[in-house]
Amino acid sequence: MSETPPVKFSVKNFRVFQGKAEALRGVSLDIPANKILGIIGPAGSGKTTFLRALNRLNDLLPNAHVEGQVLLDGKDIYHPEFDVVALRKRVGMLFALPVALPMSIYENVVYGPKLSGIRKRSQLNEIVERSLTSAFLWDEVKDRLRMSGLRLSGGQQQRLCLARVLAMEELEVILLDEPCSGLDPISTAKIEDALTVLKEKYTIVLVTNNTKQAARVADETAFFLLGDMIECGPTKKIFTAPEDKRTNEYVTGRFG
Amino acid sequence: MRIAPKSAQVIAVAVLGAATLLTLVVLVFVIAFVLVKGLPGVTWEFLSTAPKDMGKAGGIFPTLAGTVFLPLLAIAIALPLGVGTAVYLAEYTRENRFTKVLRFGTDCLAGIPSIIFGLFGFIFFVVMLKMGWCLLSGGLTLAIMVLPTIIRTSEEAIRAVPNAYREVSFSLGATRWETVLKVVLPNALPGIVTGVILSLGRSIGETAAVIFTAGSSLRMPTTVFDSVRTMSVHFYILAREGISNENAYATAAVLIISVLLINVTAYGMMHRFIAKRSS
Repeated sequence: MSETPPVKFSVKNFRVFQGKAEALRGVSLDIPANKILGIIGPAGSGKTTFLRALNRLNDLLPNAHVEGQVLLDGKDIYHPEFDVVALRKRVGMLFALPVALPMSIYENVVYGPKLSGIRKRSQLNEIVERSLTSAFLWDEVKDRLRMSGLRLSGGQQQRLCLARVLAMEELEVILLDEPCSGLDPISTAKIEDALTVLKEKYTIVLVTNNTKQAARVADETAFFLLGDMIECGPTKKIFTAPEDKRTNEYVTGRFG
Repeated sequence: MRIAPKSAQVIAVAVLGAATLLTLVVLVFVIAFVLVKGLPGVTWEFLSTAPKDMGKAGGIFPTLAGTVFLPLLAIAIALPLGVGTAVYLAEYTRENRFTKVLRFGTDCLAGIPSIIFGLFGFIFFVVMLKMGWCLLSGGLTLAIMVLPTIIRTSEEAIRAVPNAYREVSFSLGATRWETVLKVVLPNALPGIVTGVILSLGRSIGETAAVIFTAGSSLRMPTTVFDSVRTMSVHFYILAREGISNENAYATAAVLIISVLLINVTAYGMMHRFIAKRSS
């Protein structure tokens, strides 16, 4: 066994309440840097809530509140003085449904960089080419960057969304919320290819309903059930020799 | 007795069709009536010269100018206030007692007869603030009158912007304000424009509130502190005092055509904007 890798996120006894319901019931988990962490579990198990806690997108929900700690590089992101806007530039997110903003492909990609104050045309052009290339979309759209992002196909839109996240210079972590749930197998393969390359530079957390996808791309896998994290470990171990009976039943398809 | 579904369908189509047809006929008749009676009097001279003899002879140029300036001034005042309020209500506050009272208030305001606004404008702007009958008094009064329309249509338009757009914007490190500027307002624009067009139409057609606050001077206004007469008011006075039916109809024809032109241009501009964003 190799020694423990550096930790990017350290989640400590973290709880999320939505109104009276407890969506996450005390989750503790270390997310290793430059790895892909897969999160699996049946619907309603708190996977998405957990993911959205990592870039504080849950803040937008009315009457949600949290307990516990989420440390990013050792700093608590829920500390009152922590800058949420800066956090979201470091921790990007890809949503389940591809949402291209109703503007051109080019404008979609430079949305984040422009917010960070990058104005120079040459620099923006460079960012657009680099991000779209990393998202395996450049060749398909390089001649029509002024076209509206809405006119791309679903799979292309999702890769545009990935490029938009990658365009942020401050980016360190990529959160993916079932990014392939609406995509065909070829588009899915393209996203998965992109992820395995990207983990060299970024830390990746992938929520997926497709256990096979986790088995294919994740280095580590965590199993969530009804707001609890049941177990987390190397993907191979989770899928072949899980410690908990419920994990075994889920990954072998006996429930969920 | 039960009507067979097929017959019911036929009857429904006939009734609905008849209702649509009747509406259209009335509309076309009104417009045609005004145009037929008025258009013969509309000449370049009528449009470009000042009225003589209280409007019995001469043209309508100053009232044309009044019809342009007064509603524009009203919109210029009401638009930032109204859209600002709508953004605040929709983006910056959660639903609570305060927003409910505010929304109820604007709804009530929208239902008040315009002459009440005229009376208020007269007492407050014209008399209390000693502004006299002028463009500014009229503009402020009309602004208050159309504010509820602008607030409500803008708020609806802002709420109709998909939440997913906001989430994406936030997740890319935008603040609430940046999200409003870059994502929410551009997507709400068509709805906001609709509110503005409705408000423009109301301001252009308004008489009661205008006579009380902007007066009815036939001179060409040079500053916002000059009294003006709009075409609607001119038409009202010509017809009411029996000065010249012929000129009244000609004025009405010009009024109808202007409103039509404004609508066509505004919607045309809006569609160009939308097409540009989604092409």
